[in-house]
Amino acid sequence: MSTPSQTKSETADSGLARVRDLWNDYLPYWFMAPMVLVMMTITFFPGAYDLYLSLISEPTMNVFAADFVGLQHYETAFTSGGAAHSFVITITVVASALLLETVLGFGLAALVAGVDAGRMKSFYRVLFILPMAVAPVSLATIGRIMLNSQIGVIPYVIETWTPLASPGFLSEVPLLTVILLDTWNWTPFMFIIFYAGLSSVPDTLVEASRVDGAPLWRRYVHVIIPYMKPVVFVATLIRLIDLFRTFGVVYGLTQGGPGTATQLVSINIYEQMFINNQTGVAAAIAIVYLVMVIALANIVIAKVGFEGVWD
Amino acid sequence: MTPNTETYDRRTVLKATSAGLLAGLAGCTRGGDEASESTPAEIDLSKYEDADIDWSQFDGASINIGAVQHPWVDAIKPAVPVFEELTGISVNWNVLPENQFRTRRQTDVSTGAGQFDVFFMDQVVNQYNHEGWLQPLDPYFDDGSLYDENWYQPDDLFEASRWQAQGGPYADGWTGLPITVEVQTQFYRTDLYEKHGLEVAETLEQFRENARTIHENESDIVGTVGRGQKGYGMNIFVLNAFLRQNGESLWTSFSDDSGLDTQGTINAVEWYASLLQDYGPQGASSQSWSDALTTMQEGRAGHIVSDANLFWPGLTGEDSSIADNVGIAKIPRPADGEFAPNAYNWQLSTSKNASNSKAGFLFMLFATSEPTNTWMHLNSDAAFSVRQSVWENDEFRSRVGEEFAQVSLESLQAAKPDPFDRKYPEWGQRYSEELQRAIAGQKSAEDAMNQAAATAEDAYSQ
Repeated sequence: MSTPSQTKSETADSGLARVRDLWNDYLPYWFMAPMVLVMMTITFFPGAYDLYLSLISEPTMNVFAADFVGLQHYETAFTSGGAAHSFVITITVVASALLLETVLGFGLAALVAGVDAGRMKSFYRVLFILPMAVAPVSLATIGRIMLNSQIGVIPYVIETWTPLASPGFLSEVPLLTVILLDTWNWTPFMFIIFYAGLSSVPDTLVEASRVDGAPLWRRYVHVIIPYMKPVVFVATLIRLIDLFRTFGVVYGLTQGGPGTATQLVSINIYEQMFINNQTGVAAAIAIVYLVMVIALANIVIAKVGFEGVWD
Repeated sequence: MTPNTETYDRRTVLKATSAGLLAGLAGCTRGGDEASESTPAEIDLSKYEDADIDWSQFDGASINIGAVQHPWVDAIKPAVPVFEELTGISVNWNVLPENQFRTRRQTDVSTGAGQFDVFFMDQVVNQYNHEGWLQPLDPYFDDGSLYDENWYQPDDLFEASRWQAQGGPYADGWTGLPITVEVQTQFYRTDLYEKHGLEVAETLEQFRENARTIHENESDIVGTVGRGQKGYGMNIFVLNAFLRQNGESLWTSFSDDSGLDTQGTINAVEWYASLLQDYGPQGASSQSWSDALTTMQEGRAGHIVSDANLFWPGLTGEDSSIADNVGIAKIPRPADGEFAPNAYNWQLSTSKNASNSKAGFLFMLFATSEPTNTWMHLNSDAAFSVRQSVWENDEFRSRVGEEFAQVSLESLQAAKPDPFDRKYPEWGQRYSEELQRAIAGQKSAEDAMNQAAATAEDAYSQ
């Protein structure tokens, strides 16, 4: 027969054991908990708050006093808020810039990788990375001056050194100008990643294909690029998401104009929020945008992603 | 029982957050400390002590001023120690870039934080007034210990400045006191005018003809430049003058007829858009005021149709390649129209939740008074006085130039500023976008203005 003190001790032991079991059984989750908490705080809460703002008439933190208006702000966003137009503009910019930056970045990386002289290689590496160091606001300011038809150096060079007439960059071809400026600014990012990827392709594979008599383009198409697929995929995904966030350069350069010719979704949200004081409409556009970007990223991951990247 | 929601209500939370944010502003400086680095003002205190105002009634108080980075701040700071000595009130500055300042200001007043006792106010004045965020100044004007009309001389303030500070047609009284005013003027190249035998334009038709002559006869120089960029401080600041000179007005009938689709307005848009398209630089629709100014400074344009008189120093200063060949004149008007240049004022206001509004009011009086204005304009590069007496002051006229002073004075006396209704920023942005489309040739003037009118009227129909 056990004594009362023994029973108490056993009870304590069994309680401790239960805690230990609980700890051990869910060990991965405990380790994940702090990160989940941080993610909830910095990601989920702002998103949820944005959703809340998009459903109420006036911003208020007192949920019980809020005047819920359903999807009214969403309707306004797509009827008089210019949301549909800004989505089209954004997708055009994202698709064009991503394609250009990927192709150019890869091309430059391949060129530099093919340079034999070490010093020249270093020189090109630095040269091609430099544009990325320019801050968006500086780029917009410099861009406005350089592209000015009266005092800008780019129209001057075109007019003087070529038989072509310089277009009005910010008035006649504003969307193209925005795409090209972003390409200039961010191709270095793709270059860095692709260059690192090219450096990781085993020499034995390239040598083997060379011995087999494959010309250079075949070596790229059938050996190097397939080997680099994970690198290309990650680089384009990061850039894709980043392109959707573009704001500073375009706002500084054109303020979304002329009219709304370069009004990206981010600029539309800013104007709805800080110029029109339409918090609900801005929040509604932001929610649709967020859902669209998440969906697109997931589609890309599901359709284009493959083993070796997300394992 | 008090509901929990009151403990953590929006106002409390935002107030605390805003207080923390505002207290941590990087731009916080004490006026006196900062001013002591430059030469302190030598203003005779008796000029203020003569006023029948109890200047020392808030001795020991401290006021926070929210301001944008503006030449007015640089010009007034050396005078602040005089105010501090006169009143015993210490002044703290919170000077921020314009966009950041606007966000801070809105947070401060909308949450009731009341950290800014005095702050810069602009086109949103009637939105703030409508929301009940501003402290009306009329009760202070009625308080004998705070205000002495004989000393302050409100009639010395330009009518355009007084009108805008009183909210135009959209407020019942003083919403603040004006600190700076800029009025539209015409800048032209005297050498080119002389070379081509041109007369300074008084009418829009003459101006267009001058632009054509320069454009067609000069290589690498365009006939004219102007603001084409959208924004309520950009292209519509220019166009609103032509609209009024054509006999039209914003809000022919508030709030159901914006006046933007009237024939006079469409004529004004057609004139301005075709002027820039035919004789302006390529891409005129994207030109901001700084682009226009730089183009003139570089000697690449014949004249500017209507820009602020404040750019005169930039055109005649060291940075300008045309400093010796630039003239200033009043803006042109339609042959059968009225001369009515646009004018824009910055003003100082105070909020209902500011804890030291009355002390702030004393600062406003001091800053906008005749002695301070005269001193600022004689001892700095300032040229934005809201007081006629300053523009008539011989010493000031000698410093800035007789031609500049006289054109500015006459323009200020005839100025018709924009009336800022509470949704002006919202529909003004759309209106400026439509005008930009017309300048870019994307739309006809009529289509653009019909759309602008519909947007403005929709803003109030919802």
